[in-house]
Amino acid sequence: MVRTKGYPEALEKKLHDQRYYSEDSNPEFTKNVKGISRTIAHMCYQCGTCTGSCPSAPRSTYRIRKFMRRAVLGLENESLTDPDLWLCTTCYSCTDRCPRDIAPTDVIMAMRNLAFKRDIIPVNFLKTVQAIYSSGHGVPNNDVNRAARERLGLTRDPPTTHMYPEYMPGIRKIIDHYKLKANADRIVKEREG
Amino acid sequence: MAEKKKTTAKKTEAKKETKHEAPAKQETKKQAPAPVGSTTKQEARIGVFICHCGTNIAGSMDIPAVQEYAKTIPNVAYVDNYKYMCSMPGQGVINKAIKEQKLTGVVVAACSPRLHEPTFRTATKEGGLNPFRFEMANIREQNSWVHMHDQEGSTEKAKDAIRIAVAKASLLQDLFPKAVQVEHAAMVVGAGVAGMQAALDLANAGIKTYLVESTPSIGGRMSQLDKTFPTLDCSQCILTPKMVDVGRAPNIELMTYSEVDAVEGYIGNFDVTIRKKARGVITMAEGEARGIVGGGCNGCGDCEVVCPVVKPNEFEVGMKPRKAIYINHPQVVPLLYTIDFNSCIKCGLCVTSCGEKKAIDLEAKDEFVKVKVGTAILATGFDIFPVEKKTEWGYKKYENVVTSLEFERLICASGPTGGHLIRPSDGETPKKVAFVLCAGSRDNTGNGKPYCSRFCCMYSLKHAHQIIEKIPGCIPYLFYMDIRSFGKMYEEFYYRIQDEGGKFIRGRVANILEDPATKNLHVYADDTLLNRPVDMEVDLVVLAAAVQPMEDTNRTRKLFGVSCSMDGWLLEAHPKLNPCGTTTAGVFLAGVCQGPKDIPDTVASAEGAASAASIPIHKGEVELEPYFAMCIEERCAGCGMCVNLCPFSALALVEKEGRKVMQVTEAKCKGCGTCGGFCPGGAIWMNHFATPQIVAQIDAFLLGGEQ
Repeated sequence: MVRTKGYPEALEKKLHDQRYYSEDSNPEFTKNVKGISRTIAHMCYQCGTCTGSCPSAPRSTYRIRKFMRRAVLGLENESLTDPDLWLCTTCYSCTDRCPRDIAPTDVIMAMRNLAFKRDIIPVNFLKTVQAIYSSGHGVPNNDVNRAARERLGLTRDPPTTHMYPEYMPGIRKIIDHYKLKANADRIVKEREG
Repeated sequence: MAEKKKTTAKKTEAKKETKHEAPAKQETKKQAPAPVGSTTKQEARIGVFICHCGTNIAGSMDIPAVQEYAKTIPNVAYVDNYKYMCSMPGQGVINKAIKEQKLTGVVVAACSPRLHEPTFRTATKEGGLNPFRFEMANIREQNSWVHMHDQEGSTEKAKDAIRIAVAKASLLQDLFPKAVQVEHAAMVVGAGVAGMQAALDLANAGIKTYLVESTPSIGGRMSQLDKTFPTLDCSQCILTPKMVDVGRAPNIELMTYSEVDAVEGYIGNFDVTIRKKARGVITMAEGEARGIVGGGCNGCGDCEVVCPVVKPNEFEVGMKPRKAIYINHPQVVPLLYTIDFNSCIKCGLCVTSCGEKKAIDLEAKDEFVKVKVGTAILATGFDIFPVEKKTEWGYKKYENVVTSLEFERLICASGPTGGHLIRPSDGETPKKVAFVLCAGSRDNTGNGKPYCSRFCCMYSLKHAHQIIEKIPGCIPYLFYMDIRSFGKMYEEFYYRIQDEGGKFIRGRVANILEDPATKNLHVYADDTLLNRPVDMEVDLVVLAAAVQPMEDTNRTRKLFGVSCSMDGWLLEAHPKLNPCGTTTAGVFLAGVCQGPKDIPDTVASAEGAASAASIPIHKGEVELEPYFAMCIEERCAGCGMCVNLCPFSALALVEKEGRKVMQVTEAKCKGCGTCGGFCPGGAIWMNHFATPQIVAQIDAFLLGGEQ
């Protein structure tokens, strides 16, 4: 719901109606986030321990506290369409320290799940899905790495699907079960042609 | 269902043919009506009074339906309802009905007996019946409140509750409370500001008061503080006059370095055993008693000078040394040295330097003293939460992270640094100080305290003021979640500190890291008002640590039969209407042992406790609930099993007519029913909870009112 006053574009953006309204708040969203995250997402008292602990916050616009606030209020669209949602490194520092014993990391994961249902997801995440589907690794081994491993006296490939490709069908079966690869391919194709 | 069972166990039904009715007005004050077999021909006539409690009850059930049903219950002679049964007109309804309907028992269906049993007993008495012929059916806490959305179910449950209560009321007997004498003396456990205030009030009211303190000096936490908010009085300056008063008051018997070891008895007659820990030093009075002319400790300190053992001083939170023979600070009351026998090497140098005063006894042993008191006040205080458990703030890992109590000693003129605030790492004066509020409070992780410690906001404001005042150019940064300045002149104090230059950052501190080279600290937090993370480099960090009950509180409370809540604070009888009382008659609470309090609230609570504790003493006698056990001697086989089971040592075996029978000391009996439930011969009659009464209640519930 955009309420503007008809100024030129740059100014108009600045003069957007900044308020949120009761109809922006969806109690079902809070319930869904709680259900998926299995944490008390509605109990945040906004102390900021999470953002203070966050390695992403000092070098990005990502504010985990802001997402916690949105979870409390049920601000669904605002949460799911904010690109910052994808800047969490899932390091769990906030979860370690939250004095209310909430798991903010899991709240972010729940929101990402809900966003993906609406096809909201950065392409690089989908490329990771494709990489795992083809190699079993989000970041497959490469020649630079292989050389480094050799210098350190390690095998050229780690003892994973790289060394045991016979396990790949199992991994693909799991991914296919959730139609993850199919959806990733579809969205990537839509965006990149 | 659980509630129903509970109700069943307490109340009863009446369609048993036997009526255990004693004559309505029994004259004998000495003995309650004879138990089993004392059936009378008098017909039970029970009045049932249903309370709406506004909409509390009436809003969740069909009162007319309940009333119509009640009329059909056997023995019910009269039924009425009223909007507020506890109001004066409501009580009038009961009073009038007793007289006009010649009732023999009263059932009020309303709230919990904890709330209004006394009210309705009085109404019953005013109607001309023995007050113990009243029975309550709880249709609010155990019904309408929990079944708010089940009109039909709550109506049926109310019918059950009333039927069960009528069953018991039909079998109730006249009972007469026992009066016991109250010893004209009181005990206060803990001599911090709460205990001292309570003891002074009791003593000034003419009551002999034993003040028991586990450390060598009175004064408690308040004596460790530098200044007090919001008036900025010097803590010692306002406390020491009280300490001196306590030391001098003729009615106060001060027992420092002593602990409560055992408690026996009941309100009016507590027998308390005090362990006087081996102090190794005798007072001048004791010296005189031992015939040493001019002997005993006069506090000269010659012993301390020669003592070779050095230990950390607890009063200075370990930041100053003391000897194995010590006083903690110059203003101790009593001025009497103490030997720490855990570190004393018994070299005897102190004995030599004490000389003719002969005040030191290296072979001293713990002594036990027994005193009798009428009432007791617990004022056991608090300790600091071990904030090193929150590893992210680095307490005990980084030298320049201190607790608020350490800060108090560092800023105090009589403290280890003479009042010069320094960084522990290098002795430099800090120019930037971060205060971490809610350090361990409001924390639900299980590795902290879920409650608000209540006075940390205010003392942190005071700390900010102190550094601004003492160190020109020094900036205090207060990292907070909410500033809770709730008291009189507290919000004004907050205004003042902000005006003086205190910087408030709304964000809980996420973690603290030390720069190994400078020992400066980086404080990481989210400035939630700016929505930006902050990395603040400071010279010193002060953690406003949470508070928790003293370690020994749990042992002490068990001796006095006092409960505690989940967080360990002692449990008051009612959080709003009886905050100083406990569920043990004659035992009261003062100060922080009941929950975090600042000094004004602590003193107010102490005065409240002293007032409450003095009432039974001034009355001279107290009435005990007549719920004691009685022995039916012809059935008693004298086996003595009950004697060993009784948790209150109220029972004994005595010789009567050539055989052994059990005898109850009624004042000691709490009516718990342990003996009655166990007795293999059914020889024990529990007044007011007698077997026929309880069986009738169970029948009333199970048979659903059928004959």
